[in-house]
Amino acid sequence: MADDSGKTTHFGYQTVPEGEKAGRVRGVFNSVASKYDVMNDVMSMGIHRVWKDAMMDWLAPRPGQRLLDVAGGTGDIAFRFLARAGSGHATVLDLTEPMLTEGRRRAEAGRMADSLDWVVGDAMALPFPDGCFDVYTISFGIRNVTRPQDALAEALRVLRPGGRLMVLEFSQVPNDALQRLYDLYSFNVIPRMGQLIAKDRDSYQYLVESIRRFPDQETFLRMIREAGFEQAKYRNLSLGVAALHSGWKL
Amino acid sequence: MTEPPAFDRRMLEALVCPLTQTRLDYDAGRQELVSQAAGLAFPIRNGIPVMLADEARTLD
Repeated sequence: MADDSGKTTHFGYQTVPEGEKAGRVRGVFNSVASKYDVMNDVMSMGIHRVWKDAMMDWLAPRPGQRLLDVAGGTGDIAFRFLARAGSGHATVLDLTEPMLTEGRRRAEAGRMADSLDWVVGDAMALPFPDGCFDVYTISFGIRNVTRPQDALAEALRVLRPGGRLMVLEFSQVPNDALQRLYDLYSFNVIPRMGQLIAKDRDSYQYLVESIRRFPDQETFLRMIREAGFEQAKYRNLSLGVAALHSGWKL
Repeated sequence: MTEPPAFDRRMLEALVCPLTQTRLDYDAGRQELVSQAAGLAFPIRNGIPVMLADEARTLD
């Protein structure tokens, strides 16, 4: 769609018209889809698995719950959720088709096929009716959304009263020395690994820049409250390299 | 290689038009989900509905 609003947003460290961001983000993920899981492992030295498990610990899935996992890509969160809930249903929504096709190819997707739906869609305009999910998750996805506040409003809309929002995202390390060390790693090492493993330095350069541009823990907490979520809280993971934010629709 | 999974009709009940949040009609022949309200047809590719306005076909 043409963007005639004249508004701009950030794409990593570049400033781009709002209407261009989604297409560019899609370019990144179309490009990295088949190597996405192995890159996550390498980049975070396996720690993203620990973070996702921490997310499930706080979320405590219950039998029969209906999950919407936005930016759910390769199904990592949905598979974990269904395994912990025992029974239930998960809808995986992503902006890019290749990420979903990659997820559906995985073994867990076959075993849990009856409990899974895969949908290409936009976090800011969800193709679901009001109040139809018990849980909304978005894991390493919200920073790629053009207007995160709009995505939070949509999350609130599709959750039933009593439903839960949980966001896992890279965040800011609240210590200057550690942040410098982490920057050194992420700006120097990650794009090179992206080049080596996925033959795609630019996409990983974007991923690193987008992490630094995303609001810090307290700012994002305020955005969640502003969207209308209650009892909003956050927990730092690995000293704030990532954070979990939780909120309830009451 | 196995056939790509077909669109699951069950999903039709779970989905609405992302622009108008109204019901969709399934066109099995064209493999599309049609929103009369928005005047758009959303493609289904490899059994996965693509619910993006900029990927949708404008209805005549």
